[in-house]
Amino acid sequence: MKARLTPWKLGTRRLREGAVRIVIVGLFIMFVLVPLYWVIVTSIKPSKDYLTVPPVWFPAEPTLVHYTAALFSYRGLQGLINSLIISSAATLLSAVLGTMMAYSLARFRTGGQHLAFWVLSQRFLPPVAIVLPIFLLFRGWGLYDTHIGLILAYTFMTLPLSVWMMYAYFRQLPKSLEDAALVDGLSHWQAFRLVAVPLAAPGIAAAAVFIFISVWTEFFFALILTSRYAFTLPTIFRAFLGFQGAQYGEACALATTSLVPSIVLGMLVQRHLVRGLTLGALRG
Amino acid sequence: MVQLAPADILPPPGAGRSSRLVSAFADRYFKWLMIAPAAILILALSIYPLLFSLWVNFVNYDFQIPGHDFVGLQNFLQVIQDPLASSALVLTILLSLTVVAIEFVLGLALALAMVRTFRGRGIVMSLLVMPLFISPVIVGQSWALFLQRPFGPADYLLGQLVGHPVNISWVGEVPWVYIAIVIADVWQWTPFMFVILLAGLAAIPQHLYEAAELDGIGGLQTFVHITLPQLAPIITLALTFRLLDAVKLFDIIFMLTGGGPGTATYTASFYLYQIGFQQFHLSIATAGSWIFLILLSVVIMVLVRRLLRVEAA
Repeated sequence: MKARLTPWKLGTRRLREGAVRIVIVGLFIMFVLVPLYWVIVTSIKPSKDYLTVPPVWFPAEPTLVHYTAALFSYRGLQGLINSLIISSAATLLSAVLGTMMAYSLARFRTGGQHLAFWVLSQRFLPPVAIVLPIFLLFRGWGLYDTHIGLILAYTFMTLPLSVWMMYAYFRQLPKSLEDAALVDGLSHWQAFRLVAVPLAAPGIAAAAVFIFISVWTEFFFALILTSRYAFTLPTIFRAFLGFQGAQYGEACALATTSLVPSIVLGMLVQRHLVRGLTLGALRG
Repeated sequence: MVQLAPADILPPPGAGRSSRLVSAFADRYFKWLMIAPAAILILALSIYPLLFSLWVNFVNYDFQIPGHDFVGLQNFLQVIQDPLASSALVLTILLSLTVVAIEFVLGLALALAMVRTFRGRGIVMSLLVMPLFISPVIVGQSWALFLQRPFGPADYLLGQLVGHPVNISWVGEVPWVYIAIVIADVWQWTPFMFVILLAGLAAIPQHLYEAAELDGIGGLQTFVHITLPQLAPIITLALTFRLLDAVKLFDIIFMLTGGGPGTATYTASFYLYQIGFQQFHLSIATAGSWIFLILLSVVIMVLVRRLLRVEAA
């Protein structure tokens, strides 16, 4: 066993550790912020500031011209509206269906572990494996490039998230109030709707925000399942591939338009982040 | 499981006979009716497409060749014999292991640095987790812009750092293009590791550390003998989630490199996308995605079953 540390040694060690902490966190924050700052500042730069050495970090004449161009010339506005409609509808559907299933799984152990595992396994399916056949089927069913089609696909995509987050939530809620309601003559549905759902409301709200963010930021399904009608905001970035036209400002304006809402929403549910990221497997 | 008293003992007042029958039925099969809508949706959009694609595997399904003739194992052979397919698979494995390893080390370092409370910790936390809420497409696009040559700020900043002008072709040359992909992925997903590991660290009982301190055990030893073993289940969980997502790598490739230069950065997902949706060999792409799916299922089975055990314990 080592000799005990003197208070003096302990003190310098604390100081050194503190300095190391600040350096690690500080460097990473810079790593996170600098590219983000670059995107946001490029979105308000006049075009003449793009191609300069050294790069312009603080534009002298900020402008909003790229926002109007992105929204109106690149169909950003329609993408934004589509994204809002599709994300909201898929969130609502996924939260409702997911909560119902989670309640059954948590309270009645429906299907045992297998059913729960089956739902979870959907979360790990590579999208490329199912999007091909979904694409073929959607063309046959007339769901290709429709809002409904993408809403259904996203509801399916986020069900593992909503089911597992709410499954974990219901398991930690006491059952006694629902039991009392059943004794009082309420049906199972009434006990669920009138007792369990209000109790679980904070959990449902948090799950809904995570669902919304994952739909809002999704790209692959939207890329394959839509083209010129039901396209979402992320798919518009294809127009800027390679920056051949040097549309830096438009690309950054669109990026800012998309990332600000999801970051704001994310901040709102930061407390639940651990549950959201691990589908409720871990409590923060 | 305890089945509670059926509600038809006490029917809601004013209910007619037929509606009472319906509600009695609904109440009896309540637990199945509750899972039905979600289960039907998953069946329709996952199981049915998978079964359908099972058929597509063995026929000709190609937008360039009409008809759906039975072709046996031809589609699978096409994929297996394509050198690009195997190099894409190898790249996918190497890239995912690399990014997950880096994200784990950085995430753990950040979590250790952030585990104690201090003033302004809330704001620092918010800044650290921001990348998690950004679309991967935007991450790819932002890094493409940041690494742009010659007017992107990355080369300029590096030049300032080393004292002479730097001119790296980040997305045009091997090996820089791999480094660019790793940077973008690490940027987005290190916070994921960080958040989960931080929750794990915070859950380690404080008295273990106090006992170690009383015994005069040094920082590194505490880390090896207390922190790591206590954190092990959480580490498994974080690595599992991250690894199973990392192998799907597509969006960042799509925006940052487009698979290039040449085909140097084709990942499995990007390869299948190219075959299926740029060349429209849908049955070949389907066969390829089944191979990918089967390889992945083995990993999923092992990792997720272990996870469920950890969680049950």
